Amino acid sequence: MIIRAARTTAGVGLGALTALAEVLYVVLSAPLLVVPATRRVVLRGARKFADVERARLFRFFDNYISDDYDDHRALQYLFLRVLAGLLGLGIWACLGAGVVTAVVYGRQLVTGRAPGGQGAGTVADWLLIAVPAAIAVFLCWQGIVGVAELDRRLAKRFLSPSYRTLVERRISFLFNTRAEVVEAVNDERRRIERDLHDGVQQRLVALGVLLGRARRTGNTELVRQAHEEVQETLRELREVAWHVYPIALDESGLDAALESLAERATIPVDVRYTLTEPPWLSLATVIYFVVSESVTNAVKHSGATRITIDVHRVGRKIVVEIGDDGSGGARTVSTGGLGGLARRVAAADGQFNVDSPAGGPTVVRAVLPCA
Amino acid sequence: MRVILAEDSTLLREGLVRLLAEEGHDVVAAVGDGEALIEATAQARPDVVVTDVRMPPTHTDEGLRAALEIREKWPETGVLVLSQYVEKRYAAKLISADGGRVGYLLKDRVAQVGEFLDALERVAEGGAAFDPEVVRRLVARTSHEDALSRLTQRERDVLEKMAQGHTNASIAQLLYISQSSVEKHANAIFDKLDLPQAAGYSRRVLAVLRYLGS
Repeated sequence: MIIRAARTTAGVGLGALTALAEVLYVVLSAPLLVVPATRRVVLRGARKFADVERARLFRFFDNYISDDYDDHRALQYLFLRVLAGLLGLGIWACLGAGVVTAVVYGRQLVTGRAPGGQGAGTVADWLLIAVPAAIAVFLCWQGIVGVAELDRRLAKRFLSPSYRTLVERRISFLFNTRAEVVEAVNDERRRIERDLHDGVQQRLVALGVLLGRARRTGNTELVRQAHEEVQETLRELREVAWHVYPIALDESGLDAALESLAERATIPVDVRYTLTEPPWLSLATVIYFVVSESVTNAVKHSGATRITIDVHRVGRKIVVEIGDDGSGGARTVSTGGLGGLARRVAAADGQFNVDSPAGGPTVVRAVLPCA
Repeated sequence: MRVILAEDSTLLREGLVRLLAEEGHDVVAAVGDGEALIEATAQARPDVVVTDVRMPPTHTDEGLRAALEIREKWPETGVLVLSQYVEKRYAAKLISADGGRVGYLLKDRVAQVGEFLDALERVAEGGAAFDPEVVRRLVARTSHEDALSRLTQRERDVLEKMAQGHTNASIAQLLYISQSSVEKHANAIFDKLDLPQAAGYSRRVLAVLRYLGS
């Protein structure tokens, strides 16, 4: 407690000194604010001072303020902060006077003289002095605490984003992610359309051609080929349907769906799944699609020979990592599969990033909040 | 006849190559995208090209653009466009170019091998071949509804078959009516749609389609 008190006192003292520098700055730079050219320089300087103050508040008062403010706010802060600092200077002056007085009286007490120095001191004399001394100590301490608190509040008021700003930011974030979710849904529909038209439909047309040829030529070998082609088409249809929505998610849970995904991949996939409780279905769906799309990308583009999937929990977040030993160079472009994933993850209030240097390896990571 | 195929699905391309070979046609080239189609056409100068609409690299309308370019550069080459779905815009673009030697079929129609080969032959011979589905859409959603509403049901049937590129003889066969009554219906249609009398099979089809698709 004493250490804390000493830190606070020192902080207020340092604040008094910075206030002196700030007074100079404010007074000298105020005329420059009128000129548009120098105005920005002044504002930037104010920001530097605000940064120093933030560091002081953090160092001495354990009060963290983020750098989330603009230069105008910094200047406004500085104007008022100077007053608080000067008040601190006054308190420190009182403190200094008190210390000097205490030293003088202390010497007289030790040498046995009366307070003030004339004659021998009695207990009553000293008691009379002790009362105002205690009051003075109390007042000084209150002054220190008060200035420290004032410093804190000023910084919070001017340098922290207001509740309104936070709400506005949240609204604009929600607005954007909502639009992006719609976009992501459309992208997926496009992909399904492609899967159906370029995959299944082509196969069926080819099958029709095969059967047509069989009929026209009477070649039974063609019928056999057609029969095989039917199997292939059915397999592809199953793949497309699975791609639209893996029903295993509903029926057997995320771990089973991921296992099944790994089994169906054409290159070896290791799944490490260490969640003890299954996530909500909506969250499980996001995780599943992050994994599925990343695996598809890795198989298609990276030339990887091995893929690892890791789903684990860190505190109140679920971390999903998909790594491959391929050639890297994956980019999150808004139209690509990874862009769609970034939007899905953002809509679930998560973070998404792709680390894929040229030459590899690639790690796709999504961090999603969970209850 | 000498044919060039452009289709990006290897499976279907191979199937079509075999089919055409079995039918005695000479497939001089089989390619997988629009640019290769144009190159091959410039070199081999086939009687007819068959092209898918959606091909690499953008998977949008490469085939159609290649087809239009071929029509412009080598008008004597027939062009048969295969599309995954009916796109009125595509049909209108193909129609608005002059002359016959053009076809637009739904890809599904290829599975009806007979119809596909029939359409191919018509296009190669200078005629037109439009998918019944395409024609139905054009007829159903034309901007000249007043004129069309003056047609009787029978005349609509005849118009539809005409637009698909059928001759009067084959329309008569398809609708189980005599050829002379087909001619009578056709004349009534031209009258009602204010189209000038025109001799020649492909010009008739194109006139009708242009009118419907505009």
